[in-house]
Amino acid sequence: MARYLIDRLWQSALTLVLASIVVFLGVRALPGDPALAMAGEEADPATLAAVRAQLGLDEPLPVQYLQFVGKALGGDLGRSTRTGTPVIDMIGATLPVTVQLAVYAMLIAVLAGMAGGVLAAVYRGRWPEWLANGFSLTALSVPTFWLGILAVVYLAVQLGWFPASGYVSPLENPLRAIYYLTLPAAILGLSHAAVVQRQTRSSMVGALTADYVRTARAKGLGRATVVFRYGLRNSLIVVTTVIGLQLGGLIAGAVVTERIFTLPGIGKLTLDSVFTRDYPVIQAVVLVITASYILINLLVDVLYTLVDPRIRVSGRAS
Amino acid sequence: MIHRNRRSQVLLVAALGSALLAGCVPVQPLAAAVEHVDVVGSPVGDRPVREGGNLVMGLSAEPDRLDPTTSSSLYTRYVMSSICEKLYDLDAAGNIVPQLATALPTISADGLTVSFPVRTGVRFADGTPFDAAAVRTSLERHLNLKGSQRKSEMGAITSVDAPTPGSIVLHYKTPFAPITAALADRAGMIMSPAALASAGAGFGDKPVCVGPFKFAKRVPQTSIEVVRDPFYYDAAKVHLDSISYRIMPDAITRAANLRSGDVQVADTISPQDVDALTKDRNLRVLQVGSLGYQAVTINTGNVDGAGEPPKPIDTPLARDPRVRAAFAASIDRQTLVSTVFNNWFEPACSPIAPQSPYASAASNVCPPFDPARSRQLLAEAGQPVPLPVRMQVSNSQDQLRFAQALQASVAEGGFDLQIVPVEYSTLLDVQKRGSFELLQLGWSGRIDPDGNTSRFLGTGAAANYGGYSSPEFDGLIAQASRSTDTAARAELYGRATAVIQRDNPIVYTYRLRSLTVHSAQVAGVEVYSDGVVRVGRAAFLPDEES
Amino acid sequence: MTTLAVPAPVRWRALQKLARNPMGLVGAILLLIVVVAGVFAPWLAPYPPAEVHFATPFQQPATVGFALGTDDLGRDVLSRVLHGTRASLQVGFLSVLLAVVVGVPLGLVAGYWHRLDAIVSRLTDLMLAFPFLVLAVGLAAINGGGIGNAAVALGIANIPTMIRIVRAETLRLKDTDFVLAATAMDAGPVRILGQHILPNAISAIIVQATVIMPAAVLGEAVLSFLGLGIQPPAPSLGIMLSDAQQFLFRTLWPGVFPGIAIAVICLGFNLFGDALRDALDPKTVSEGH
Repeated sequence: MARYLIDRLWQSALTLVLASIVVFLGVRALPGDPALAMAGEEADPATLAAVRAQLGLDEPLPVQYLQFVGKALGGDLGRSTRTGTPVIDMIGATLPVTVQLAVYAMLIAVLAGMAGGVLAAVYRGRWPEWLANGFSLTALSVPTFWLGILAVVYLAVQLGWFPASGYVSPLENPLRAIYYLTLPAAILGLSHAAVVQRQTRSSMVGALTADYVRTARAKGLGRATVVFRYGLRNSLIVVTTVIGLQLGGLIAGAVVTERIFTLPGIGKLTLDSVFTRDYPVIQAVVLVITASYILINLLVDVLYTLVDPRIRVSGRAS
Repeated sequence: MIHRNRRSQVLLVAALGSALLAGCVPVQPLAAAVEHVDVVGSPVGDRPVREGGNLVMGLSAEPDRLDPTTSSSLYTRYVMSSICEKLYDLDAAGNIVPQLATALPTISADGLTVSFPVRTGVRFADGTPFDAAAVRTSLERHLNLKGSQRKSEMGAITSVDAPTPGSIVLHYKTPFAPITAALADRAGMIMSPAALASAGAGFGDKPVCVGPFKFAKRVPQTSIEVVRDPFYYDAAKVHLDSISYRIMPDAITRAANLRSGDVQVADTISPQDVDALTKDRNLRVLQVGSLGYQAVTINTGNVDGAGEPPKPIDTPLARDPRVRAAFAASIDRQTLVSTVFNNWFEPACSPIAPQSPYASAASNVCPPFDPARSRQLLAEAGQPVPLPVRMQVSNSQDQLRFAQALQASVAEGGFDLQIVPVEYSTLLDVQKRGSFELLQLGWSGRIDPDGNTSRFLGTGAAANYGGYSSPEFDGLIAQASRSTDTAARAELYGRATAVIQRDNPIVYTYRLRSLTVHSAQVAGVEVYSDGVVRVGRAAFLPDEES
Repeated sequence: MTTLAVPAPVRWRALQKLARNPMGLVGAILLLIVVVAGVFAPWLAPYPPAEVHFATPFQQPATVGFALGTDDLGRDVLSRVLHGTRASLQVGFLSVLLAVVVGVPLGLVAGYWHRLDAIVSRLTDLMLAFPFLVLAVGLAAINGGGIGNAAVALGIANIPTMIRIVRAETLRLKDTDFVLAATAMDAGPVRILGQHILPNAISAIIVQATVIMPAAVLGEAVLSFLGLGIQPPAPSLGIMLSDAQQFLFRTLWPGVFPGIAIAVICLGFNLFGDALRDALDPKTVSEGH
């Protein structure tokens, strides 16, 4: 297992380096001149040249890349060309919000999804299964932003059950923070809950009808015990994989959710920075997002090893 | 028994089906055009109010840097209206009144000296004293700072003097009538010299001025918080503790938040939402006609960049004024406005709003919608019909909808309009470089018509994106900016409009109304003809019948 | 000489199983409707999708002349839904194509040659590090939005899963008897991959395609909502929803039918895909349930 983890560690590091190169080249491929954007519209050639030198734009590409990496590791991710704020501060302010939203959404997704999946598997063929399946299929067939807007219009405006927008930091007021984040997290997590529910159900069904479970029941173990000890354990493996694969959709959903509910998160920052051509911000934000993805994938793999005994024993992923 | 039920079921379904197919609902016609009366809001006055509280305003776009010298965003003016007073301001009727100055400027007979008194005994938000020296520092910064957007708004000033702590004198090379209006806008915002000295170019990160509120915090792309300023000279009239400006780019989100009460004021309400919001008993609607315009700019000479000498361009639109006239004649402005904007906005054919004191019959004239004439002109110009033309548009929802409607309208006149959606910042780039054939863009409008005309159509002007150059037009505009007689200026602007409508470098399409909605629990929210939402003296009403 | 890994009688049994699955049949019918609507949209639509009728905006469904009503500019909703379905299917199809064209060969290679597996895994990790929205936003920033960008971004986002599935299938099939036999008879790797492994991995690929399609349709809707997808006035279901949400306080109707269309497309693929997966699942097939 240690061998496996060390392998994953250096693989992730390599991916991170490759990703940073892709981000670096990608930002350079964007149209428009970053020096012009920074110096302003009225800048004369002398100022422009000075800004270019300051941004290091005259150096050969590999040198620029190394400068970029060097500064990034030191915490200097540049300044926004629009507002002049250090990018690291902007990320520091917005990343926690998105992390809170994503974690909350995943929590809802996993809890609701697994509950639904267990229900559907245990009551197979009867109405709870139909209900659970119906919900999950609907959740997978409707775009998140549409649900979000409808939720705002009906649950927030008409019924007043939730606030229509806004964010409260948990450091200020934990209960209000949760209240403000509930509707966005529920909307964001809904489609993922559906995926988790379907996977849980199918793996539970597989587990429940497997031979070893029949043996356990024959030996006299109670139904609940069987469900939870064997069924759920297997499902955890599947759910962990699913969480890992779902991350891609989570960031897209986060951008949309943050926009609809006006949450000051990094998804919103990404979109806004592209529309305003704020290159330092785009570069840093994409780098942070990809680094987070790589990190989370690594963590998921670690989690995998804890949950899937096959890996622990053989030392390789199957 | 079952048989009969089954049969009646089938019959019912068949009946419904055929009814559906036949179309059982008649066409629902458009609402008739209504006269819109400006509702600008009223001050709190003597009404009993609840002291304190935090007002939340939904802003439709993010302000740029909060620096009066370099700012070019309309939304920055909203925030500045509560933290940064100006030498002059507007009143409810649209007249210029003193704010940090104490009287309207006195202009010498030759027009080269402009002097006005300023307040004394007033302090900036950081406690430092406000006086004429501070005013001079700010005015000089507006004139001299690299990247200043105010310089061209202030005219040819040779020097600024502060002979006494309570008076300012501006010396001009040539007379410049629009200066009063400019000082009622960002050029008149006075910044604390102490803050300027310590922050320099970074003033916009933590602005310090004179105002009912002072800057507290900004979270980029999310919100700006301002809190009550104890040093304000009129602090007794300030009731709120703080104001939060939250950035909400989607109109539906602003409308939803207004109805749910999460936001108490919101600007730029969509004409499609206003009717529903008007019916809400907890909300009040403010509306005022804009002094600006929305238009299509035609590239007639911008090859090397705006401000550079124009060069000929080889497209039918650029070469032949008949083709441009055909385009202008093929826009059905009234129908566009009633369909796309639910009859809330008005058609526009000139850069001067009809409610401006500088409007005249000549500037209000609107060439009729005549697709037949458009086709005739195209035939005369020897152009194939349909003539393909490309128009770049900002990819915001409202702009795209209007562009699609415009496309349908000009098709009748023989134009095949291709829409190219582009991000707003790219659009600004494109317009500067001149890499466009047609461009759809608006202007928020200035009180003084010079601000709506010379910067966009004057030869060599920095914002002359179409590369238009007409000595006749330049002469009329220059003459108008030197005169201080409103009637004379109106006549000149009328003649200038006739030139524009003959050459069609810019085809004006519509003029919007600023639609602002606020909660009935809040009083003292006002919006004047400059479109700026003023919440600095607003207050919450006590919790009873309002 | 070709040998199928799954004997013909089992294949036939899978098809029978599919036919007997009621949910699968529902899915198949929905898909049929959707595909017919998309393919024949230019002939089925009563009006051109971009045709504006200024005098009649916001008409209710079943208004004279407009079966499903009109939108904010008076355009016929039925025509736009038909063409929008076509556009959504195009985006989905292009994404699947990209995922298959790139993912399948890489998956085969990764499964067959252990040394190349490491390289392909790094490539997959790299692709997985970029969420589809970041790709879409980046491509849109470089090229402007559009159907091509949306398809490319969505396609790239789905390549990793396709690679993994094909790789898993290749690993599984690599050790089967007929492949070993073919190797023993000196068949080259290309021949083995092309004639033995690939045909048997097809079912897994098809199942994955039915997963990618709804994801692509929903992804296109999100991109259009954000202004990065198909550009107006070309109709797309995503744009129709995004337009409709501006007018929610005026009327709900413009959003109903594109929403239903998206739901039908996704439901169709989900139901059919599920049924297909169940039918092709070797466990259930071999047990003969």
